Amino acid sequence: MIGTIASQQSLLLRRQHVALVGLITMLAVTAIAGVLGWSSHHTIVRVFDQAVRLQAAAGQPAPPNPFLLKPNLSLLSNMVVYIPLIGALLALVVGHLSMVDDQSKGMGRLLFTRQVTRTQYALGKVLAATRFLALTLVGCGVVSIVALLAVNRTLSPSDLGRLTGFYVLSWSYLAVFVLVGILTALLTRRRSLALLSAIGVWLVITFVVPQFTSGLRPTQSLNPLTEPAGTSQAFFRVTQHAQPLSIVEQYKTAAGNILGTSPTSPTTETVLTIVPTLIAGFGLLVLVLWRIQRHDYARSASDE
Amino acid sequence: MSEPVIELQGLQHRYDTDLVLRDVDLSIGEGEIFGFLGHNGAGKTTAMNILTTLLEPTGGTATICGYDVVTDRREVTRLIGYLPADVRMYGHMSAAENLEFLAKLSGVPDARAAARETLEYLGCADLAKRRVGTFSTGMRQRIGIAQAIVHRPHVLFLDEPTSGLDPMGVRQLRETVLQLNRDLGMTVFMNTHQLNEVSKVCTTIGVLNHGELIYNDSIEATMRRFPDEASLEDIYVRVGDLAS
Repeated sequence: MIGTIASQQSLLLRRQHVALVGLITMLAVTAIAGVLGWSSHHTIVRVFDQAVRLQAAAGQPAPPNPFLLKPNLSLLSNMVVYIPLIGALLALVVGHLSMVDDQSKGMGRLLFTRQVTRTQYALGKVLAATRFLALTLVGCGVVSIVALLAVNRTLSPSDLGRLTGFYVLSWSYLAVFVLVGILTALLTRRRSLALLSAIGVWLVITFVVPQFTSGLRPTQSLNPLTEPAGTSQAFFRVTQHAQPLSIVEQYKTAAGNILGTSPTSPTTETVLTIVPTLIAGFGLLVLVLWRIQRHDYARSASDE
Repeated sequence: MSEPVIELQGLQHRYDTDLVLRDVDLSIGEGEIFGFLGHNGAGKTTAMNILTTLLEPTGGTATICGYDVVTDRREVTRLIGYLPADVRMYGHMSAAENLEFLAKLSGVPDARAAARETLEYLGCADLAKRRVGTFSTGMRQRIGIAQAIVHRPHVLFLDEPTSGLDPMGVRQLRETVLQLNRDLGMTVFMNTHQLNEVSKVCTTIGVLNHGELIYNDSIEATMRRFPDEASLEDIYVRVGDLAS
């Protein structure tokens, strides 16, 4: 039953233009990340070559090529920003579409008078949405490989492994937003309100929580003078320990470690940064399964 | 009366403080076409939602072929087919794709063949490859009937099946219901306002008034009981008057 629901949902996602636009957008931003990486590589190499010529003319030794010091996958460093921004929005929309169409058409009355259970239905929807994201990220991976080969000429097995790790990490991060899209659709009666709520959650996760958990004092970032000791100090001392709650920051840290764009951390530390995302995903899945049991599917179609 | 296929005993349902079904006792036999009548908000759809396992009653019991609609949900869903009011299906999918999907969810082994055969049986094989999003109300209703019988249920529930249909559509639906009852031996439970249709199709009727079953008998017995009334509409009004 889960497979039947998932196949049908995959068919609908393929035929819905919104999901297709999202897929094309993700492939385009991956290509843009590659082009930007190639462009900066090309510019720096040109400047370096000119510097080498000038140094040689002056009889001085040439400095080392800066790109030899950078990891090959740094070309894709922009993807660490694009995934939480554009990818997460796509994931929200896919999750949202998976649920609201059935609700607005009153399909529950046809589905739940059959052998399928609500748990199977929910798992089928989650499977279809996460599979769609996986295929999108495979597409992004192919574009990334093309970009890397275009610039670096070669791709080592280690780099390929890191690239796979990066996209697996991105998939698990985006799965959280699929579940947010599904859950908000189950919690709200109107489809427009469901999408707005999902976007609200995305804004909080992506922009608000990192601010609260960074331990940065906003007044200090504006004013170079030392902030006098006060009650706000205690607040920020407490919130900086809440950094693991910011799954977007944890994702960026883990992704930076995998791509080699941030100071290298031990593997165990990288794995630990993924744990809050996995906990969030599992928690949301439990909430979805709980909520769907209580959802009123006896209601008829709405015209919204 | 033949062996009861649908049985309600002291069925109650409450939405918050509002009691919409009040101790409904009802028994419907094998092969009957039952017309469930009542004003808007009488509780007909709530009763149907309970019988089709979409809603759990807050009191009493309901069984289909001896299976409880709450505790034996799996067996009940195997036995029933349901056409909701204002049926909509996946507009991006063709009629055949919709039917095949719903047949799979009913556990039909060869869902594709079942979908094709059902469309042929109902004389709408020409609609098979067309996307449901392009269908008129009448076409949607025919596909709605098809999805309800694609797994050959024992009992068919129809909620306001003629609403929004033109006279030809109403006649076609009536013939289909009679055909299903005659050929496949389906017991039919129909919520309706169309008293004219009830008199032409149903074998028994029940009248629900503010959640209370105020009348339940066969059409022949009803006509005998109210010999002075010219039509079922008059009888319906009379029954309502007697109840109040």
